[in-house]
Amino acid sequence: MHADDLHAPIPQGVAGAPAGPALERVAPRVGWGAAMALETAVSALLAFAATLVWALTGSGYFWPMWVWLGLALPLAMQAAVRRALREPAGRRRGLAVHGAVAAVMASLEVLVWLMSGLGYFWPIWPVLGFSVALATHAWVVLRLAPGGREEELVERVDVLTRTRRGALDVQAAELRRIERDLHDGAQARLVALSMHLGRAEERLSDNPEAADLVRQARGEASAAIAELRDLSRGISPPVLADRGLAAAVEALGRRAAIPVTVDVELDRRPLPVIETAAYFVVAEALTNVAKHAGGAAARVAVRMHADDLVVQVADDGPGGADPAGGGLSGLRHRVEALDGELAVASPAGRGTTIRAELPCVS
Amino acid sequence: MRVVIAEDQALLREGIVALLREHDVDVVAQAEDGPGLLRIIAGHKPDLAIVDVRLPPTFTDEGVRASIEARSRHPGVGILILSQYVEPVYTAELLATGEGGIGYLLKERAGDVPAFLDAVRRVAAGGTALDREVVAELVHTRSADSDRALDPLSPREREVLGLMAEGRTNAGIARAMVVTHGGVEKHISNIFSKLDLPAGDDDHRRVLAVLAFLRATGSA
Repeated sequence: MHADDLHAPIPQGVAGAPAGPALERVAPRVGWGAAMALETAVSALLAFAATLVWALTGSGYFWPMWVWLGLALPLAMQAAVRRALREPAGRRRGLAVHGAVAAVMASLEVLVWLMSGLGYFWPIWPVLGFSVALATHAWVVLRLAPGGREEELVERVDVLTRTRRGALDVQAAELRRIERDLHDGAQARLVALSMHLGRAEERLSDNPEAADLVRQARGEASAAIAELRDLSRGISPPVLADRGLAAAVEALGRRAAIPVTVDVELDRRPLPVIETAAYFVVAEALTNVAKHAGGAAARVAVRMHADDLVVQVADDGPGGADPAGGGLSGLRHRVEALDGELAVASPAGRGTTIRAELPCVS
Repeated sequence: MRVVIAEDQALLREGIVALLREHDVDVVAQAEDGPGLLRIIAGHKPDLAIVDVRLPPTFTDEGVRASIEARSRHPGVGILILSQYVEPVYTAELLATGEGGIGYLLKERAGDVPAFLDAVRRVAAGGTALDREVVAELVHTRSADSDRALDPLSPREREVLGLMAEGRTNAGIARAMVVTHGGVEKHISNIFSKLDLPAGDDDHRRVLAVLAFLRATGSA
């Protein structure tokens, strides 16, 4: 078959078209249900024929029941196994198939005993054997090893944790790249523009009106530069990338509109994504203190506790902060995305403490 | 006055060089990274180095670190940092390298040519020139206990001291505060005596006063 034939459109509505590769492809699409129906019909026909032969040959010992049994066995086995296969893939499916086969076999033994004239109940022994084997299998699957479903979930959680972490790392790197692009691109061009305007302004000393226009243009450029600078700092503060969390948090404390004491003790640099999250926890918390704590002082502490980076911002303000408020829930999302926890304690009249714990081992 | 420049972005470096040369400032060498800055300072012994914070190879605070290194090897060289962002922590580290001869300005200040040239000359002569944003961050935040050294100063005198830290002249301070020249001089002499600064060269006392201010605000 030529490779192109695989992609040839299936001829439709062409009566008497030669049976080509396209038709061959369609043929095997007969469903399991239809196969079963066909098999059942054929079996029924054979059973009927056997019974007919028995009736025509003068009855006697009713031997066709053994034909029936022989015909029913594969059907029952197929139905039972098919039902068992509906379980999701994994160890539990194996157990279900085992159970189905054992049940059919046990039924068969009992039927044979019934049909062979009762007597000593010998099927007890094979049935007991099947039961012991099935029970052992079940015990192994359910007790010893995690079930197939659980195994699958564990694996899925693993993959999701890894990919989410990867996505966050990529995002953090991307934000730093954007900051750098702004710094080297738009900001630098505006600075150059501002210098050119300054030099032009000097040359216009004999034309005060034009000089004034140029001065205004320079003012606009400066305002644009300042806005970009604030934007950059909000995206990825340069001092955080340059000097790490301790210096960046100290700069935040210095920049805050309230008195802040900063206490940072770190023996190593956490991953950029963790540093950034910790930084924004402190930034947002200090903004909240300045806004709601009536000028109360704040204390910032950053520590490594075992494998967690713990960030705590406390104030002596009036308390009563709403943990579901916009800023705090945004922080919670940021921290929880890193499998961390954010706790807010804000009893009325007793200050507010925000504590974030960020796991540093992935 | 002999000046060297370390700036990796050609657009800005050429802009600054053109601006300085138009005003008879002698730009004797240019570098694009930290090690290059150290080489040209050693080779040309300039009065002043104008340095960008973010330089290759690290693209972080290479410029600040190279400047600190340069100051320890050549104590006399003035350092004027030009950056696209202000970080008081860098200012503090630079000021700790010795008295005076330190400036930290946002790059766009170069657009105000007279003020920029003034800052360049002042830092080359051993004075200070701090961006008003740096000073603003230093002034408005400190808690009561770290401010103790400045306690004797009146709010007005602190304002004058902040403007001095920016590197403004008496005339500049008078304009900014809308007071007379004589008023400013009176404030300044009060500051000098309240901070127990020894009598002597006024420029030197200015530097000492600014350092006292920076120390009191927890930055130096």
